[in-house]
Amino acid sequence: MRVPFGWLQEFINPGISVEGTAHLLTMSGLEVEALETDGDDVVLVINVTPNRADCLSVLGIARELSVLTGAPLNLPFPPAGAKPPVIKPVPASEIAVEIRNTGLCRRYAGRVIKNTRTGPGPEWMARRLEACGLRPINNIVDVTNYVLLELGHPLHAFDLNTLKGGRIVVDTADNVYQKIKTLDGVERKLPAGALVIADAEGPVALAGIMGGANTEVEDSTRDIFLEAAWFEPRNIRKTARALGLASESSYRFERGADIEIIPAALDRAASLMEELAGGALEGAVDVYPVKYRAPSIEFRADRVNKLLGAEIEEDEMLRILNRLGFAAEKSPGGAISASPPSYRLDVEGEADCVEEVARIHGYDKIPSVLPCSRLSADGAGAREDFIRLVGGVMRKSGYSEAVNYSFMNPRALENLALPPNDFRRSAVVLLNPLKQEESLLRTTVIPSLIENLRHNRERGLKNIRLAETAKVFIRTNEEQLPLEPLKLAGIAIEQRTHSFWRDAAEDFYLAKGAVEALLDELRIKDRHFAPSGEPFLHPGKSADLIAGGRKCGYVGVLSPAAAEKFEIRDKEEITVFELDLDVLLGLLPPPPVYKPVPKFPYIERDLAIVVEGGVKAADVIRYIKNYPSEFIEDAVVFDLYTGEKVPAGKKSMAFNIRYRASGRTLTEDEIEVIHAGLVKDLLTHTGGSLRQ
Amino acid sequence: MGGGDIRESFLNELAPVKTIGDLEQLRVRYLGKKGILTAELKKLGGLPPEERRSAGALLNETKIFVEAELAARKEELKELDLREKFASQAIDVTLPGKYTPPGRTHPIIRVMREATSIFVAMGFSVEEGPEVELDYYNFEALNIPKEHPAREMQDTFYVSPDIVLRTHTSPVQVRVMQRKKPPVKFIAPGKVYRCDADISHTPMFHQIEGFMVADDISFSHLKAVLESFLHRIFSPDVPVRFRPSYFPFTEPSAEVDIGCIFCKGTGCRTCKGTGWIEILGAGMVHPHVLQMVGYDARIYSGFAFGIGMERIAMLKYSIDDIRLFFENDLRFLGQF
Repeated sequence: MRVPFGWLQEFINPGISVEGTAHLLTMSGLEVEALETDGDDVVLVINVTPNRADCLSVLGIARELSVLTGAPLNLPFPPAGAKPPVIKPVPASEIAVEIRNTGLCRRYAGRVIKNTRTGPGPEWMARRLEACGLRPINNIVDVTNYVLLELGHPLHAFDLNTLKGGRIVVDTADNVYQKIKTLDGVERKLPAGALVIADAEGPVALAGIMGGANTEVEDSTRDIFLEAAWFEPRNIRKTARALGLASESSYRFERGADIEIIPAALDRAASLMEELAGGALEGAVDVYPVKYRAPSIEFRADRVNKLLGAEIEEDEMLRILNRLGFAAEKSPGGAISASPPSYRLDVEGEADCVEEVARIHGYDKIPSVLPCSRLSADGAGAREDFIRLVGGVMRKSGYSEAVNYSFMNPRALENLALPPNDFRRSAVVLLNPLKQEESLLRTTVIPSLIENLRHNRERGLKNIRLAETAKVFIRTNEEQLPLEPLKLAGIAIEQRTHSFWRDAAEDFYLAKGAVEALLDELRIKDRHFAPSGEPFLHPGKSADLIAGGRKCGYVGVLSPAAAEKFEIRDKEEITVFELDLDVLLGLLPPPPVYKPVPKFPYIERDLAIVVEGGVKAADVIRYIKNYPSEFIEDAVVFDLYTGEKVPAGKKSMAFNIRYRASGRTLTEDEIEVIHAGLVKDLLTHTGGSLRQ
Repeated sequence: MGGGDIRESFLNELAPVKTIGDLEQLRVRYLGKKGILTAELKKLGGLPPEERRSAGALLNETKIFVEAELAARKEELKELDLREKFASQAIDVTLPGKYTPPGRTHPIIRVMREATSIFVAMGFSVEEGPEVELDYYNFEALNIPKEHPAREMQDTFYVSPDIVLRTHTSPVQVRVMQRKKPPVKFIAPGKVYRCDADISHTPMFHQIEGFMVADDISFSHLKAVLESFLHRIFSPDVPVRFRPSYFPFTEPSAEVDIGCIFCKGTGCRTCKGTGWIEILGAGMVHPHVLQMVGYDARIYSGFAFGIGMERIAMLKYSIDDIRLFFENDLRFLGQF
């Protein structure tokens, strides 16, 4: 809402500067977002919240300012309760008004003004309209807009002579009318439930939203039928939304207009028309079947103070409410009884009255006291602690935390070559995405991270490690909310040429190492890795994480085909992983149970074998650990060699095996026997030979 | 040879010794089984008693002297050896250490954790709710029926007519109240979505919802809790002000401003010259919201607030473009 300060001053002399006015309004709930210079005036740009329809006018702001400053209001019309001017009724032969739906239209009133000269409005009025963001059109339409801005009530002017049959019918369009051509020249299909104003032949206005083109006031117009009515807010909003059509008028009606100001608004407009367009007020009509009845709200002063944590005197509460136009008094039962004015449709109950008292009293005057409450040992909770732990472990492995939008490009699913039945194809689709590339919700975090990698590479960053913990969204069916599993995903690329300490490990093992570090930290021991079938990973350099007997994620090198589809042109390998954190959280073991540390020393043996290239280290380790000897405590692989010293297609792997007895010191002799047996059996099992 | 002569010749021989080996040979020469001093000491038995006494004392004194000198020189030579060894093993200690440079914390996650910790310290628990939410929880149960103008305050992404991307973390209020009896006291951090993207809006951002309902909770409690939070997350001397506002699910409602941390209240570009920066929305839970979940609004009251984390992070770290948070540029992330 834009309010020129000069216009405001016609209604009230606040006795303070425009800046002081802005501050007062802001601190009472009408946030002044800016002060804009407009010629020799200043426009207050006020953010009027949706509940305060009463402040969508110069009058409304002046009323509020009067409450805040105590300065009196100068009204351009007789005050409430004063005897209204007597205007002879319009003869029914000229205009007969019928409201067929009194639920949606509680009052319909009008004025007939004849012999006007339609033409450009005066300059001063045009400037004020423009300062408020409206376009001047002609003196008649400008007056309706001027009064809308001044008093807050929408008006509409019809060319009286284009209204057919001397009839005005207010009714919903259903089953009667199909469409209307509105003032903006657009022919619109009337949505179900839309309220229209019709004459004897058809719709002449979309009630409360926009007039019809067929009855528009033009330069040739001589006689005016000026309309002011009260329309039910939800109906107006529903129709306006269905048509995608919003106007200054619908904006006010859908927030709740003041039904009692209607005669004053009509008279104000009629007198301005007489003044600016000539013509004479010829008659009035006012059909008001559902009279306004203010709710009576009862509440106790001590309840207000309890809710606010304040000590405001009861008399002060009464004073505040009465200044705001309420009829407030002490009721016989010792409570306060308050009835809001007709322009405060937002006030419905006790809480609204509490707010009125608090905001005029001043939020700053309410003391600040920390609450007392029962202690709680809940803390952040296991899940929050777990997520923090995961982030910390990933950072230790060099992965910075990324945060991406939850959206996904439908093309990403193609780029990942996911088969039609893959669960990641079950994406939630947005009905109104901002752009096509953001029209799905993520079913996997990987595409976002690939995008991040590309962003960083294009800016010259060489070594990139990013990890994101986020929910993804898996659609189940249309009626139900999707699943929201929590994922941890990571991406990395290493360019080693400039790294000082060379590390010859394959990139795959760095990524897998990060995953293993996490699993170690979480003490999840029941786990292994098996070759992965993910279609977007390098088939020879990818593995699924199997933990607790089920697949919990994967780690691997992004396949060159997928990288290319994502327009990544780097020659270095890109590693990715994605884990189900919900599943891992469920696999967290109970607290450790201490086992005494070994009392007796171990004996070690190293063993290097040459095997076929396809033999897996994990299989060899498993064979050794499962070997029927109670003394084998542990076995690890410590070397891998392929090259000229072993035959082509073969590789050499070296293992360290640790033997220990729990109750005594083993002797070299007894281990010699066991170890020789193990070596022999292992070579048979793997088809390998000892490395010379 | 007398004690004095021995001492003199020993010192002469000791002077050029440079290695532990030479020193050992010298020791044997004087103190070994056939050493010079040992031989002289053996001779003492053949002397007359009156000479034996003084000559013996002199020789013993000489022996102690020689032993001490040898020990001292041995220490010196060992020290020298070690120094040479160290010198030959020296490396360039200015070369970088070998480690995996730790990843960095995203600034949004950083402030989310900090804020969460502050509220947890005040006794709030942490709750979570779905990001794809029923219209009912996001709007209806929060006193925002269909065709309510307040729906325009939040541009909404729709999945179906009844399912939306939550536009705020407030639906968690309703879900928790449906599950728990009062008193309740929790925060709900998470992602929220608005169908809006420009220089100061991103379609996804982060909020922390705060909620406390009991039989005696007042607006003054809300003020104190938020002031404590803002003083902890910014600084104890940052001014905080509450001004009336409107949210359909709170009444009275408030916007909370802090004194501009850039200009200290004198007015600058960030605060649009006002000296104040809007930082969060809050209010007393609307009785309709309580009634809809079966809480008796005549007995229970409470407050709710929603804090935009991007805003907090931008002010805390002087970040001038909200879009930076979602590019994940390592030159940006590396600063946190």
